[in-house]
Amino acid sequence: MEELLEKLAEILEVEEIDVNKKFTDYEEWDSLTALSVLAMLDSDYNTSMKASEIISFNNIEAFCKEVLSR
Amino acid sequence: MDFSFKHKRISGILTILPKKAVKFEDEMTNYSFSPAKCMKLKLAMGYNEHRIAEPGQCSSDFCKFGLQYLFDNNLLNKDEIDALLFVSQSADYYMPPTSNLIHGHFGLKQDCLCLDINQGCAGFELGLIQAFLLLEQPAVKKVILMNADVLSPKVSDQDRNSKPLIGDAAAITIVEKGEEENPIYANIKMDGTGAMVLNIPAGGFRMPSTPETAVMEQDAAGNFRSKNNLVMQGDDVFNFVQREVPPMIEHLYVQSGVDRNEVDWYMFHQPNKFMLHKLADKLGIPHEKMPANIVENFGNASGVTVPTCISYNLGDQLVNGKMRLCMAGFGVGLTWSSIMMEMGSLQFNKIIEF
Repeated sequence: MEELLEKLAEILEVEEIDVNKKFTDYEEWDSLTALSVLAMLDSDYNTSMKASEIISFNNIEAFCKEVLSR
Repeated sequence: MDFSFKHKRISGILTILPKKAVKFEDEMTNYSFSPAKCMKLKLAMGYNEHRIAEPGQCSSDFCKFGLQYLFDNNLLNKDEIDALLFVSQSADYYMPPTSNLIHGHFGLKQDCLCLDINQGCAGFELGLIQAFLLLEQPAVKKVILMNADVLSPKVSDQDRNSKPLIGDAAAITIVEKGEEENPIYANIKMDGTGAMVLNIPAGGFRMPSTPETAVMEQDAAGNFRSKNNLVMQGDDVFNFVQREVPPMIEHLYVQSGVDRNEVDWYMFHQPNKFMLHKLADKLGIPHEKMPANIVENFGNASGVTVPTCISYNLGDQLVNGKMRLCMAGFGVGLTWSSIMMEMGSLQFNKIIEF
């Protein structure tokens, strides 16, 4: 999960991701960062999600668990 | 679905662009994004300048201007036109077909098949496949393929998903029978379950335009649109392209027996730089073999982007030489299509402005 969190931190332009937060809690979160997450999922994790699915998780930890279980 | 053709060739490509160029910076205050975010968007997507038709200019006007240019310069003879294809999402009227209007405007011969095709981003490939199919008939020797779209009036000024990239343009491609074998390999796939991923909700028979459909509404991302405006589910389009296009091209290599390194140029539809670079990376193609410079210079005019990309990046190289091109289009429908063929010794391959 560490690697995925680092990638998310880079996209959201923060030092460290708080896994208890939601994506929408981050100031940088918008349609452009959502697309960056989609692209990262596609190229690095060979999976895809809708933007609405990404923000539907209760927190980032749940999102990561889902991605890594695929 | 796979197709193969022989003894057919493209003998000329003319791209017609509006004179008016609009800068990204001049429109970004309309978007619900900070200036810093807008600049990030510009950089990531490769937005810069796009060509927009003047009010009142229809896609058919660009076609007429281009055809007149070809007639005036003796690059095309009226009497040789056996079929006139108009591939567009911006027809003049529901009826009659726009191709018939153009036929009438120039007084073309009656032994001519006029056909309007409603298709967008894969419109060049679908149009070429249709042209090649017609050329299988003894009576058809020369087909004029017109790809044209003026969709900018349908895009909301406050929609940063679509406004910065939309472009208006037309292209005229001459397709004819050839002496040489010139094998052509093409394929096309459709997924109608995704038909509404790119759509204009109102204005057709299902939902006629009314004062109610013109009301501007805000979406979750802060864009304002009415039901008369074009709407694109950006994440669905991105996922669709990354999922379907690479396997389609891998299949085209097998279908044509052409190795990826034997392709001189990958002339793909131009949604934005970001998507094209992702596609090139997935396919293991160097970025310089897949030009991604049409959106930043002219905008994305649906099915016109591939001929624009060929005219802009190759120009006279295709008049004086011959190259192997892999072309691909993907988008509305959902439709995805690709063609592998050699192209060269064109009579003309250029951009003019209207």
